[in-house]
Amino acid sequence: MSATVTTGASSHRSPGDWALKVAPWLVLFVILAIVPFQFPSFRVEQICFWMTLAIAACGLNLLTGYNGQISVGHGALFGIGAYTTGILITEFGVPLFGATVASAVVCFAAGILIGLPALRIKGLYLALVTLAVATLFPLLLEQFSAITGGSGGLQITSPQLYRGEMRERPIRLESPVAGLENDQWKYFVFLGITVVIFILSRNLIKSRVGRSLVAVRDNEVAAESSGIPVSQVKIVTFGLSAAIAGIGGSLFALDQGQLYPSSFTIVLSIYILVAVVVGGAASIIGPAIGAVFYGLFSDVIVQQMPDRIQPARAVILGVLLILLMLLAPGGIVGGFRTLQAKWSARRSSTHSSGPAAAGPEATA
Amino acid sequence: MRDFLQILLVGIGDGAVYAMLGLGLVVIYRSTGLLNFAQGEMAMFSTFIVWTMWSLGLPMWLAILGGMAGGFCVGALVHQVAVRPVGDPHEKPLAVVIVTIGLFLGLNGAAQLIWGTLDRSMPPLFGRGQVTVFGVAVAWQKIGAVIVLGVMVLLFYLLFQHTKLGLAMRAVASNSESASLVGIPVPRLLMLGWGLAAAVGTAAGVFIAPNLGLGTNLMQLTLIFGFAAITLGGFDSLVGAVVGGFVVGALSSVMPRYITIFEKMPLAPAFILILAVLLFRPEGLFGKKQVTRV
Repeated sequence: MSATVTTGASSHRSPGDWALKVAPWLVLFVILAIVPFQFPSFRVEQICFWMTLAIAACGLNLLTGYNGQISVGHGALFGIGAYTTGILITEFGVPLFGATVASAVVCFAAGILIGLPALRIKGLYLALVTLAVATLFPLLLEQFSAITGGSGGLQITSPQLYRGEMRERPIRLESPVAGLENDQWKYFVFLGITVVIFILSRNLIKSRVGRSLVAVRDNEVAAESSGIPVSQVKIVTFGLSAAIAGIGGSLFALDQGQLYPSSFTIVLSIYILVAVVVGGAASIIGPAIGAVFYGLFSDVIVQQMPDRIQPARAVILGVLLILLMLLAPGGIVGGFRTLQAKWSARRSSTHSSGPAAAGPEATA
Repeated sequence: MRDFLQILLVGIGDGAVYAMLGLGLVVIYRSTGLLNFAQGEMAMFSTFIVWTMWSLGLPMWLAILGGMAGGFCVGALVHQVAVRPVGDPHEKPLAVVIVTIGLFLGLNGAAQLIWGTLDRSMPPLFGRGQVTVFGVAVAWQKIGAVIVLGVMVLLFYLLFQHTKLGLAMRAVASNSESASLVGIPVPRLLMLGWGLAAAVGTAAGVFIAPNLGLGTNLMQLTLIFGFAAITLGGFDSLVGAVVGGFVVGALSSVMPRYITIFEKMPLAPAFILILAVLLFRPEGLFGKKQVTRV
């Protein structure tokens, strides 16, 4: 995975360029705003799940895309977030989104814990350890079934007023806004959290800290000798990445209302990784695009296929991953950047001559 | 005490199977330098080939040979179309991990497409009988696993130490650039290595399937045991894979029995082992120490 693109701003800016830059975001904003009113409730529910996946992928991207530490075990961190939320709400009566914050803290700690050995274990070997974590996680849930409910599942309940008395009832996200259905309300809450997380991680990446993440990935020794506290950066990145994945898991728990170990197998970890890689590792919006792609693929396209050939979903994803690595390792965003760079290079070479023709170079 | 011996022997029998998978992982690591996360799925796939041939009426041993041949083709093909074009695993670890995970998904899905999602049953190769030694009952199946492993190790030894082909494969493993300069067809040998690894995995699958039922997630736990074995033994050591396999098998059979917290997760000792070895002795028991220059 080669470097991200931080190109110098193009030398001459015209209002047209500015409009070109803002327009896609406006379109996206409008689309996101009308989606929950255009689609039936079950689709909106599915999109809520895609958002939890996008959040987890965003966390993994910080770690794997920007910091170069490979994790095949983010499904386990997602699971820790989900179960922390479930247990806090059911056993301790913590308010719903308070549990989300607490889950982020717990996952941050879990991330630090995994990040410590990762200082010595690198590359393929870190992938191996995290793969083992992902495989072990569902078994852990079974082992500690006294608190996790084991394979019987964890029903997330909270005391609610029901027919005049307080009772333990399954949690529900109820819309306080008159015009919004429950699922539409949930959609906007999740969307808000997702957007905030993506913006925060964008700011992080554009900051001094973010540049040190990339420096550590590209060359640890060089980073160390230019004064970056490498160990500290790597551990904190692991913690942050885990915390974000945990928020995704927490929202998943709030969304589902019940948790089973079978939702948190190695396959979940793989899908989070798929979202990152397909969308584009080391690009901010990539994981979101990857998650939407994955959602569209497995919840919409695959559902159109006859039952008998539905396992083809895994075959297609597998082949796609391999092809991506061979043809466009930058994923969708990387591919788009390459095209854009080619296009703008051609444009500037026809419109002007001389050294200004050097277009932004995309190396992702 | 008898109880302990009983459990230990079961563990050693399992360990032989982990060692078989580990041998394949080591062959791949030595030749192409990567940890093959799809090794388990390759073994699962070829075990299904064995099952198909057997259920078509072929004798079991012939079916196994057929499955190994099929596995060999799958392994060789996978190397040619997916692994080789990606490049050096230690320079681009993420790309290589993604490719093996792509293979994992692809093979798993393909097996579901071909053979469906229901578990198939397969008879134990050495029957269901057992012998009693010093008051401890040992299943023939476990003894058989150890014997098959022994035969495999012998064949590997003969191949690597006493044939020209093996010499060439060792040359590729130790320095592929120099090997290609002296005229060794490196890519073809790497392909051969992948094929061999997949063929060996078939045997592991054949021993596991009767216990677990032959389904598409047959090897997912076993793969981690196999990795634990080679981590302990050293990623590039065939002897290490065997020793590691037995240790991992014994540990993961004995510890859950006596330590209640591991009761439902025999995988936990293997995981702790992987972590501890990578942290404190990354080269394992028999591996070569890796030194990188700054």
